[in-house]
Amino acid sequence: MRKKNSEKISNSLYYAKDNLQYTITSAPELGILKSLGIVKDARVCKKMTHWMGGPVLVKIESSEIAIGKDIAEKIMVRG
Amino acid sequence: MAACHEINYDEKIYEKPNKILLMGNPNVGKSVFFSNLTGIHVVSSNYAGTTVSYTEGTLKLGNESYTLIDVPGTYSMEATSEAEEVAVRFMNSNPIAVLCVLDATNLERNIKLGLELQKYKVPIVYALNLTDVAKRHGYEINVSLLSKELAAPVIPTVAVKNEGLNQLKDELQKVINRPKMACGNCSSCPACASNMLNTWDRAREITAKVRKKVDTKLSFLDRLGSNMLKPWPGIPIAILVILLSLGVIVGGGKALRATLLLPLVNKVLVPFFKMVFSSFVPEGTLLNVLIGEYGIFVIGFEWIIALIFPYVLLFYIVFSFLEDSGVLPRLSVLFDNIMRKMGIQGGSMITILLGYGCAVPAIIGSRAATTKKERLIISSIVCFAVPCISQTGALISLFAGFSPVLLILMILLSLSIMMIVSSVLSRLLKGTVDPMVIEIPNLLMPNGKAYGKKLMLRMKGFLLDAEVPMLISIVIAALLKETGLLAQIAVYLEPIVSGWLGLPKDAVIALILGIVRREMAVAPLLAIEGLTALQAFVGGTVALLYLPCLSVFGILTKEFSVKVALTIACSTTITAFVVAGLINQLAHLFM
Repeated sequence: MRKKNSEKISNSLYYAKDNLQYTITSAPELGILKSLGIVKDARVCKKMTHWMGGPVLVKIESSEIAIGKDIAEKIMVRG
Repeated sequence: MAACHEINYDEKIYEKPNKILLMGNPNVGKSVFFSNLTGIHVVSSNYAGTTVSYTEGTLKLGNESYTLIDVPGTYSMEATSEAEEVAVRFMNSNPIAVLCVLDATNLERNIKLGLELQKYKVPIVYALNLTDVAKRHGYEINVSLLSKELAAPVIPTVAVKNEGLNQLKDELQKVINRPKMACGNCSSCPACASNMLNTWDRAREITAKVRKKVDTKLSFLDRLGSNMLKPWPGIPIAILVILLSLGVIVGGGKALRATLLLPLVNKVLVPFFKMVFSSFVPEGTLLNVLIGEYGIFVIGFEWIIALIFPYVLLFYIVFSFLEDSGVLPRLSVLFDNIMRKMGIQGGSMITILLGYGCAVPAIIGSRAATTKKERLIISSIVCFAVPCISQTGALISLFAGFSPVLLILMILLSLSIMMIVSSVLSRLLKGTVDPMVIEIPNLLMPNGKAYGKKLMLRMKGFLLDAEVPMLISIVIAALLKETGLLAQIAVYLEPIVSGWLGLPKDAVIALILGIVRREMAVAPLLAIEGLTALQAFVGGTVALLYLPCLSVFGILTKEFSVKVALTIACSTTITAFVVAGLINQLAHLFM
């Protein structure tokens, strides 16, 4: 159980390491995410996670997008 | 072919012939195109979602007149939000042509929407906007290749500088006069639907073909822009920006008032009207109503010109600058964590800040919130604890006679009430608040012309909308005071005003006028002599929390319901008397 949990956490965009490129493996079915290009197979560069439950900052193409914690946790990525 | 869709064309706008739609992603400059093409000025800003509803204007191409419609920005045609639903309906309403604005700095996403629009088989002209910013970011775009890939004209533009707009008009005229294509106006019949597949992949492919990245050194603004997104040095910069803005508004407003407007009122306007009226109106009540202590031609000038106007002007000078520069979304990102704990999300911060100008646009702007719960929380916060700039101006003048500590205490009080209201409502109201997902625009220096136009538009709006209610309340004040009615009403309200709140009985007039406009709950206190610091603070607290003004009550009724408006009005008023009274009683207990 614990192993599964930690695996899930390490795959989530929220907990992924900063300043690295990732490929999205799954993202919540949300209109705004789709529109901004946060979809399966998209390449994003994770900039940082803000402290105290703040948003994640990612760069996709030349646009920077801030994603609130509750959604960012549900976006799964691989390195 | 039109039978593919069953859409209710219930609003007249959808039925209009000769429509040209102005479409594109949010924050690509559609409103700037609209202003420059039609000559009608609409408010544009540097963040997504300035246009929540559509605007229409007339566009002349040669000898023909067309209706140009500024459709709210959309990322896709999947109708996932109110704005996108509007866009889809417009595309299905037989437009004659589409002017699709593409953001040159975010090609993939913009081309994707551009491709989706092609499914509707309406002639399209693409405007490749923000080409100057793209160049600065080191992107080179092959425009003729892009035009070939999209099979439609693409015109490079810099809308804020009016570059490329004439060429755009020529191309529009050409595509409109070209013979119609065979397939009708339909997006879901099988033949067209197959094209819908993989617009994302196609958009990526096109982008890779037409765009070249050349290395450039990041400009100072670009580096500042990304630094402002990190807690360090972002938060210190944000605090500096807020303090600087406050300083400019308070200091600038005070300076303008003291050096220019107050002398103008006291030495020129008031003496002039006193002279005029006393020459032909006999002494008595009528003369007093006109030019007495509370005379219409005395407080009318003192309050509106010397007290309110300088702060309104300075506020919009500062706020419009912050809007156009792209600073506001960065503040949203930095403070999302705190706002999340309050039960809302960082993106709402812009709407709340707008409320510091006037609550009405803030409540309308809350439409951008994705859930009704969030809209209600934002609107309540604005009504409870956000003083509009007119009221802030009056409060600054009121506290100026005492110590700046009062102003700081008032800010702290307002912030704590904001947090309490938000936390309580997020627990009380049913429903959810969606987490923040926002795109951060480039940090840029506002364009002088666009900025100036926006400022003019806002000041004109203020003068037109605020003038009438202000004059009404001034006439009421003059009549109440000079006819002696005030003294009679004061007797009934004495236990609350003097007993519980500890204010002098003349303060009654503030409570009566405060119903009409928010600053009028403060302005009469300025005229009371011998007010103590405590009384000023208690009076200020009542005014801050008191009833939202009549226009706010109206907009709450329109945007929500009478029930919501009444609930907010009652709870703010009760809170006002309870909190201000407690401050007064506790202060007396300890002092």
